[in-house]
Amino acid sequence: MKRLLRYFAVAVALFTTLAPVYWMITISFKREVDQFALPPRWFYFTPTLEHYVDAFVARSFGQYLLSSLIVAICSTAGALVLGTLAAYSLARFRLPRNFDRKLALWILSTRMFPAIVTAVPLFLIMRDLSLVNTRLSLIITYTAFNLPFVVWMMRGFFAEVPRDLEEAAMVDGDSRLGALRRIVLPLVAPGLAATAMFCLIVSWNEFLFALVLTQTDDAMTLPVGIAGRVTQYGIKWGVMSAAAVVAMVPILAFALSVQRYLVRGLSLGAVKG
Amino acid sequence: MSISVFNLTKSFDRTTVVDHLSLEIADGEFVVLLGPSGCGKTTTLRMIAGLEQATSGDILIAGTRVNDLPPQRRDVAMVFQSYALYPHMTVADNIGYPLRVRRLAADQIQKQVRETSTLLEIDTLLQRKPRELSGGERQRVALARAIVRHPRAFLMDEPLSNLDAKLRLQMRGELKHLQQRLQTTTVYVTHDQAEAMTLGHRVAVMNKGKLQQFDTPLEIYSRPANRFVAEFVGSPSMNFLEGSVDVSNRIFENQQVSLALNDSQPASFSNFDTNKPVTLGIRPEDIRVSLSHRDGWHQTRVYVVELMGSETLVILQLGAAKLTARTAADFRAEPDCPVWIEFDTTKAHFFDSETGLRH
Repeated sequence: MKRLLRYFAVAVALFTTLAPVYWMITISFKREVDQFALPPRWFYFTPTLEHYVDAFVARSFGQYLLSSLIVAICSTAGALVLGTLAAYSLARFRLPRNFDRKLALWILSTRMFPAIVTAVPLFLIMRDLSLVNTRLSLIITYTAFNLPFVVWMMRGFFAEVPRDLEEAAMVDGDSRLGALRRIVLPLVAPGLAATAMFCLIVSWNEFLFALVLTQTDDAMTLPVGIAGRVTQYGIKWGVMSAAAVVAMVPILAFALSVQRYLVRGLSLGAVKG
Repeated sequence: MSISVFNLTKSFDRTTVVDHLSLEIADGEFVVLLGPSGCGKTTTLRMIAGLEQATSGDILIAGTRVNDLPPQRRDVAMVFQSYALYPHMTVADNIGYPLRVRRLAADQIQKQVRETSTLLEIDTLLQRKPRELSGGERQRVALARAIVRHPRAFLMDEPLSNLDAKLRLQMRGELKHLQQRLQTTTVYVTHDQAEAMTLGHRVAVMNKGKLQQFDTPLEIYSRPANRFVAEFVGSPSMNFLEGSVDVSNRIFENQQVSLALNDSQPASFSNFDTNKPVTLGIRPEDIRVSLSHRDGWHQTRVYVVELMGSETLVILQLGAAKLTARTAADFRAEPDCPVWIEFDTTKAHFFDSETGLRH
């Protein structure tokens, strides 16, 4: 009985998360007449690839996808490199008057106001730098946006690594950066994977800044591109769904490939491993 | 290589952890830094390794000042209390790590790793990860990693404290043997006085950041420089009696005892001020205990008897003070039973009660 209840709860949870995804996937393969059929065609419809062709051949969704990939990967890499070094310093070096703790808090405080607050000044800055409608503007923005998160998350992971290990490495003849690369980073790899995953998801799904900073097909990312199909003349459900299905794939692939790290990374700190 | 420190001082904020410490350690010598926790011995070791910056003073290795060199350029090897093995590497990679960062050729690394692991009898474990090893095996890997590159000195920070008692004794012997064989200068930190006595050519006793005495184990045991050293070294600890010395009659007296100090007494009596309080220190083996009355001996009561197997410790109640005496293994007495004791005053130590310094 208890077991049955548990399965029921799982089924409800799965249904609520997966039903929209299922609906989106089916819409992307349905002809328009089937999309609005009443009663809804849950399983039986004539599959078609017309929306995919429409999105990626006739329209610029291929371009958006490329922009999204470039922006997400570059900003994640940037935030990881800068954030990891900052986090390592904050975890290892004490500054006078507890300045290191204050610094960490200041870094976090940049995430305490709503993102929209920075949208206008950011747009003005990017305009003056002639970076509006470029991927670089988004890469910079997302790197800055993800940095506090990377710093805080990685600082926790670094704090878990015993200091003795790096000290041993340095006495053994390695430089501090060498010890970081050869000893510490391999040990925090699960944390790094989890952090990277989070950054990728944030950058990949980000809509607000992308909307403000990019309006041309060359620089626009997928979320903006998809939303742009809601026009005053009509809503292209099929095209939007097709693009959304494609947008799911990269993140899903990355998540699956780092899955074994991810579980450890997210639970690291909670469980002594 | 020789290691010297001069007026070495380390302060954190307002607390001074190491206070004007000076030591000269000869090439090939095994020196033990001994002291209670918080006495600054580990900080001293870390300053020699370069892991801690000295606030002031000089550190010299082989005659060259190394204060400003980072740890990787001091060419000393350190064995940590936690062993600090790299968990993601195999035993072979752990031992070979110092050679890899020095960019030695792969076959050379392999050869040296094999030689060192054979020396420490861990050559069958080379492909294991540290978590698959027992405590003793980890200890050997940590030692091998220190030995493999023939450093100028070994620095060891309580390397045996995480082992169980039996293994600790075994590794203690092996460590001493290894040092005798390799003849590498070694600085060894411990709070265990037995380790210090057995391992060191010389022992530096530290307390509250200050050097108390730096001498051979025998000298430290038989002529402690002050009351702290006298109390810290030796197990069970030395007994202390507060009192005063009557110079003209050559006696030490307090409310419970009056001890005749005969001519063989090494302390020079002219130093004593009759009115000043004096602490007499006497080791448990220098108190004789008798179950029957003897002339000139002091009567006391037995507080408790502790059987050790090879010997018996008798704790005696003398006024408010408790004294420990070491007796033969077959000594038996009931609690509160009267016994008579005699002090071997030729082996007694006298300390200034105020400064703690030896008279």
